[in-house]
Amino acid sequence: MRALCWEGVGKLAVRDVPEPAIRAEGDIIVRVRASSVCGSDLHLINGYLPAMREGDILGHEFTGEVVETGSGVRRHQVGDRVVVGSVVACGGCWYCRTEQYSLCDNSNPQPVFTEKLWGHSPAGILGYSHAAGGYAGSHAEYIRVPFGDVGAFPVPDGVPDDSVVFASDAMPTGWMAADFCGLTGGEVVAVWGAGGVGQMAARSAQLLGAERVIMIDRFPDRLATAAERVGVETINYAETDVLEALREMTAGRGPDACIEAVGMESHDVGPTYAYDRVKQSARLQTDRPTSVRQAIMACRKGGTVSIVGVYAGLVDKFPLGAAMNKALVLRMGQMHAQRYIPMLLDRIASGEIDPGYLATHPLPLEEGARGYELFEKKQDGCLRSVLHP
Amino acid sequence: MTNNGTRWALLGVTTVTAVGVGRAVARRRHRRQPERQDGWYVVRRGVTVDRPRDAVIGFWTDRERLDRAVAGWATLEQVDDRSWRCVARDPAGGGTEWRAEITVDGPGTLRWRVEDGPVPQEGRIELVDAPQGRGTEIRAELRYRSGPLRRVFGLVKGDDPDLGLRDTLRRVKSLIECGQVIDTRRDPSGRSPGQEKATDKVREKLMTGGRA
Ligand SMILES: NC(=O)c1ccc[n+]([C@@H]2O[C@H](COP(=O)([O-])OP(=O)(O)OC[C@H]3O[C@@H](n4cnc5c(N)ncnc54)[C@H](O)[C@@H]3O)[C@@H](O)[C@H]2O)c1
Ligand SMILES: [Zn+2]
Ligand SMILES: [Zn+2]
Repeated sequence: MRALCWEGVGKLAVRDVPEPAIRAEGDIIVRVRASSVCGSDLHLINGYLPAMREGDILGHEFTGEVVETGSGVRRHQVGDRVVVGSVVACGGCWYCRTEQYSLCDNSNPQPVFTEKLWGHSPAGILGYSHAAGGYAGSHAEYIRVPFGDVGAFPVPDGVPDDSVVFASDAMPTGWMAADFCGLTGGEVVAVWGAGGVGQMAARSAQLLGAERVIMIDRFPDRLATAAERVGVETINYAETDVLEALREMTAGRGPDACIEAVGMESHDVGPTYAYDRVKQSARLQTDRPTSVRQAIMACRKGGTVSIVGVYAGLVDKFPLGAAMNKALVLRMGQMHAQRYIPMLLDRIASGEIDPGYLATHPLPLEEGARGYELFEKKQDGCLRSVLHP
Repeated sequence: MTNNGTRWALLGVTTVTAVGVGRAVARRRHRRQPERQDGWYVVRRGVTVDRPRDAVIGFWTDRERLDRAVAGWATLEQVDDRSWRCVARDPAGGGTEWRAEITVDGPGTLRWRVEDGPVPQEGRIELVDAPQGRGTEIRAELRYRSGPLRRVFGLVKGDDPDLGLRDTLRRVKSLIECGQVIDTRRDPSGRSPGQEKATDKVREKLMTGGRA
C-alpha cells in the first residue's frame, strides 16, 4: 500500500509499504478515507521530539471504514464507518477506567524513552514516533487500530469524512482545553493559536459557557476565519502588545482563563524569541514557551491556564513567580480522546459544532509532502490539509 | 487463601515472572559470562494492577488462560499439591532451557527457584492490597548468584535481571488488565530490511525494562 513516511528532519515521501495485519484479538484494520495533518506532526517532522525513525508512517487524525476485525472485537463490523481517537488506550487500566485515556498504562509498548524523560510513560499515540509506542500512522491506505472497541467510534450518518475526521484529535483537544477551564458561565477566555486546535477550543469554550472568547495569532486569515466561523474577538500579536490589549479588553482584570494551543515551536516578535531559538537549537532548552509565558502573565488572579499545545522537555524563563503569586490553576495534558468523542459526534450531528471548515486543503495522499508544506508555512489560507489515500 | 484458586493465581504470576527473569539472566550469560562467585544479588520490584486481589487471582485460575499467557515461554507440570515444575525455553533461541520449581509458600505468597538453569536464581511473589482501592500490588523479589567478578564487569547494579523483572511485571499487569501485551514491532513502515533491523534494536531498547 502507499503511505506517507518520514525520511529525516523536514523530509517526507510517499512510499510503498507492507499492509498492516491483525496482531491481537482487539485489533481492527481500517481503510483510511481521510487523514489530517496536525500541529503535533510539525514537532515530529522538524525533529523537536527526537524519537522518529526513518520510514515511520505519520498521521494520527483520521476516519475510515472497518475492513477486518480481530476475534475479540464486539462493537464494530466490517463495513462500518468509524472515527478513531489518536490516543491508544487499553480500556482496562485505572487511567482508562477513570477516563484519563491519554495516561493509559498499557498502550505504549516502548515506555523506556518517556519514563527516562518524564518519570512515567503516558499512553501510546498512533503515528507519533517511538516515544509514543512506535505505531504506524494513518497517512496510508490502511491502518491497524489496537483496542478497536475502545478507540474507534461509529460515524453518524450523513456527516462527511472531512468534517468528522477532526473528532479524532483537534475537537477533543479543543474541548478538553475548554473543559480544563472549569467554566461556569459568563467568563472571558483567551486562546493562543488560531490553528485547528485553538479554533475548536474557542468553540468549545463558548458551548461551555464563556461569554467572550479572544483569539491571539499573527496570521490575519486564520484570525478572520475564527472571527467569522466561531465569533471570537481577535488580537494580532505581530501588531499589538498582547498583554496590554488583553488588560484593556477586560477592563484591567485579565481573562478568567487562558488556553494555550500553540506548542513548543511558539513564535514571537522581539529579542526573547531570538534567545529562545538559539537555546532551542543548541538543545539547551527543548521547547520555546513564548505563548505559555504570555498566558501566565495575562491571566487574571486566581484564573486558569490550560495548556494543550505540546511540550516535550525543558523550558527556560518560566514565570513560576507569576503563576504562584497570582494563585493560578495550571492544567495541561494530551487529550483523552475516548472520553469526549461520543459527545462530540452528537454535537457534530446536531450541527452545534461544524469542524468541516478546518479542512481547507483536501489532497490526495500522493501530495502529502506538499500538504505539510502548505500547513507548516500557513500558505494559501491552509488551516489543515486532509489527505485522501 | 490456600484454596486451589489462590495457588493457580500465584502460580501464573510466578511462572511468567520466573520465565521472564530467567530469560533475561540467561541472555546476559550468553553475552558476557562472569565467573560464578558466592553471594546473591537482590532486586525488588512491584507493579500495581488495577484489580482486587481476588480478581488478580481469578485471572490465573483459568488454566487455559494461564497456558495461553505463558505459551511459547514455558510449560507447567504439577509435581504435587504444593509444587510445580516449570520448564522454560529461551524464546530467542539458543537452546537454553531451565527449570523452575515453584512452591506455594502460604497465603498470597509463592517462591520459585532455578537450580539447573543457566544462572541460579530464586524469587518470591507476594500480592498485597493497594491503598485507596487502587487494586493489587504485585511485589517480587529476585535473588541471583553473583560476586566480585560481576562487579568488576560493571554488572554491579544487576541491570539485566532487574530489567527482566520489570519487563515481566509489566507484562503480567497488561495481561490481567487488558488481556494482551501490546506490540508494534511488525507495524508497517517505509524502511528497508536493514533499516528495519536497526529500528528493531532501538525498539528492543525502548521496550526493555520500563517502570514497575
Ligand atoms: N494536547 C493534545 O492532545 C494535542 C492534540 C493535538 C494538537 N496539540 C498541539 O496543539 C498545538 C496546536 O496545534 P494545531 O494543529 O492547531 O497547530 P497549528 O500549527 O495549525 O496552529 C498553531 C498556531 O499557533 C500560532 N502561534 C505561534 N506562535 C504563537 C504565539 N506566540 N502566540 C499566539 N499564537 C502563536 C501559529 O501562528 C499557528 O496559527 C500544537 O502544539 C499541537 O502539537 C495537542
Ligand atoms: Zn494531533
Ligand atoms: Zn489503559
